[in-house]
Amino acid sequence: MNESKAAPRPSSREIDLMLVIYLAVIVFSILYPTTFFSWQNARAILNNLAADGIVAVGMMMLMIAGVFDLSVGSVISMIGVVTGGLLMNCRWPVFPAVVAGVALAALAGWVNGMLVARARVNALITTLGNLMMFGGVAILIGGPSIVNLPESFTWLGQAEDPVLGLQLPVWFLIALAGGAHYLLRNSRLFRQLYYVGSNPKAARLSGIRVEQVQILAFTLTGLLAGVAGLASAARFSTAVSTSGLGAELRVITAVILGGASLTGGKGTIAGALVGVVFIALIRSTLITADVKPAWHSVVVGGILILALVLDSVQNRARES
Amino acid sequence: MTDGPLLVLRGIHKRFPGVHALKGVDLDVRRGEVHALVGENGAGKSTLMQILAGVHRPDAGTIAFDGRENVVFPDEHAAQESGIALVFQERSLFGPMSVAENVFAARQPVGRWRRIDRRELESRTRALLDEVGVAVHPDAPVEELSSAQQQLVEIAKGLSLRPKLLIFDEPTAALSPAETEQLFAVIRRLRSQGVGMIYISHRLTEIFTLCDRITVLKDGAGQGTFATADLRPAELVHRMVGRDVELHQRRTDAPPADGRVRLEVSDLNDPPGRRPRLQNIAFSVRAGEIVGFAGLVGAGRTELAMTLFGARRAASGRVRIDGQPVRIDSPADAIAAGIGYLSEDRKEGGLFLEMSLAENMAAVVTARPGSWRYRESDHRRVAEERIRDLRIVCRGPAEPAQNLSGGNQQKVVLAKGLAARPRVFIVDEPTRGVDVGAKAEIHQLLFELARSGAAVAVISSDLPEVLAVSDRILVMREGRIAGELAATQATEKSIMKFASMG
Repeated sequence: MNESKAAPRPSSREIDLMLVIYLAVIVFSILYPTTFFSWQNARAILNNLAADGIVAVGMMMLMIAGVFDLSVGSVISMIGVVTGGLLMNCRWPVFPAVVAGVALAALAGWVNGMLVARARVNALITTLGNLMMFGGVAILIGGPSIVNLPESFTWLGQAEDPVLGLQLPVWFLIALAGGAHYLLRNSRLFRQLYYVGSNPKAARLSGIRVEQVQILAFTLTGLLAGVAGLASAARFSTAVSTSGLGAELRVITAVILGGASLTGGKGTIAGALVGVVFIALIRSTLITADVKPAWHSVVVGGILILALVLDSVQNRARES
Repeated sequence: MTDGPLLVLRGIHKRFPGVHALKGVDLDVRRGEVHALVGENGAGKSTLMQILAGVHRPDAGTIAFDGRENVVFPDEHAAQESGIALVFQERSLFGPMSVAENVFAARQPVGRWRRIDRRELESRTRALLDEVGVAVHPDAPVEELSSAQQQLVEIAKGLSLRPKLLIFDEPTAALSPAETEQLFAVIRRLRSQGVGMIYISHRLTEIFTLCDRITVLKDGAGQGTFATADLRPAELVHRMVGRDVELHQRRTDAPPADGRVRLEVSDLNDPPGRRPRLQNIAFSVRAGEIVGFAGLVGAGRTELAMTLFGARRAASGRVRIDGQPVRIDSPADAIAAGIGYLSEDRKEGGLFLEMSLAENMAAVVTARPGSWRYRESDHRRVAEERIRDLRIVCRGPAEPAQNLSGGNQQKVVLAKGLAARPRVFIVDEPTRGVDVGAKAEIHQLLFELARSGAAVAVISSDLPEVLAVSDRILVMREGRIAGELAATQATEKSIMKFASMG
């Protein structure tokens, strides 16, 4: 029996985090008025976060559906070198090479989805295994890296708009996030992600095809990781076979900071973006402040735990 | 040990944000007494019991227990140590662990160097299991037991504390009549040993057969304590609900005798080796008819419903709806074919607890073919209508489902199932854990559904309910349909005869 409780205030993690970002920007601008507070720096931060942001959109959908994908880091690396190899070693034209890369990425995501949803292997195990496998494949194919990618390809990562000077991947991220936000609110299919994450059994008994929904989310996430891999190879004109190293943890951290829950059923695309921006901001500031790279993970990890502790304290305060 | 009352609560107040859950409640429990605590969902029974169990602390009021005045239970452990044990309504067992480890969770008998004494653990568990009369092995994993057996293990766990006060919260919800009798025997034995017991149940017959005194709660305030002998059931209900409620009202309109056959099931069989194994299932339900499915827990009623709904696979079987053969491999197929199903477990198989009422009611719609679009405003409007029609007590369509009381949650699940406009509606334990007021309303809803031409199948372990709502009753036993009775001729006795033996 449930005693009726006060209705919890609507989810506002996005807004909380946005305020924190706002404050952080003010503080950093005062501390580093010349290096931090400049359009130059803002543009660099945005261009650098685009790849993570693209993956975060998929990851948010997965986490809404109650699962997650650790293999995205290796998918990023693998798709970069596969496409690079097709361009440089097999002399494929850009268009088919890109399509093949994206298709392979979607296939990798689909395999994750089949293993988790149909074969019912735990998502952590499945995607951890594939993180290792795809990561190995990337090195087998690419060696350390594939360099001097043709301009007809690097254009995809380096073209800037004339006004703001943002690179193409940033614009892709903006369009993608807008589309995903719209679909998560207004499409029946994408709304099903929330039901599946909230209570898979009840979702199934409501006629929702739970496995298909999860497979769809995995496939999309794999595909987007592939896009991120292409973007990063194109930006640096080089497909590094470890380019995605650690991206999975960065993205999952960002998405959780942005309001996703490991138990599923909640989260928004706005939250995913805010989370990615927040982490990019912290990293950029630490670089500006000339902090040793090892401290970056200490700070980001600490912030993640702090955020969740605050959340849990707040929830308990609300309950009693 | 003193001779005074075992437990005296005076003026207990408890506030939660936005709600005054208990408004000065008094309660006395004597030694060797079974004391019923009754009230609608949300009346404050659970909060009061959680205070006794050390989960919450009262904002005002005093507790005297076992001769000690002004007792405070800072946490669950302290309450247990003082001799209060709670048998939970929602099972709190550890599925993969053995019965013995569950009964003595964290209190296993230990030998030298605090090593767990397995032999002692097993023999003490065996003694407790004998006491509650459940024939399971102490080493068996709890998840392999039936839900009735699990409930009895839960009771054995409570007894293992050798409590002075034992609190039962809906202990019979998952039990068959025979198991219920067994439990009552245990309770009566404990009573003769001087244990005080608080018994919470929505089943009035149980309260009148078992309990010595009754305390009524309504909206967080005590409505008085009565000796069971001095109170008639109708009077009790009036005090609980605040108005007269017709208990187990029958259908006023007769079903159309010549209604077309809506649902026809034939030759449905499970593969060998299943338990329960459905065999030779054949029945039909006409448009406008309500068919009750009675039987013991584990007779295969839920399995039959799940099979028809595509959530479970059988080896063979033919299903026709309105004469058309249908193939059902998943709940999605079933819903497309016009079948609706209400799960027996609303929290696990029905509700999206943290999602809003509007979203809950829209769940089935998102899965139906048709437009790809989800229009939030449409769903909110539909939800507002449903909330009004079904008299769901809530703050509005945006309220999360977890904030509602059991009866209102059940109405939300019904609204969700009805959103697909099923022609065949199978409801599994539609009023489990639901108070009398909401129960009568849910029955009316089923009558209306039948009147609108749907074929309705009602699975219920509550015999008075089956007798009241059904036009025809099918009794299941060990996976077969063991008998059929017209509602006008059926009695609890005739149903039980089919249910328990050939």
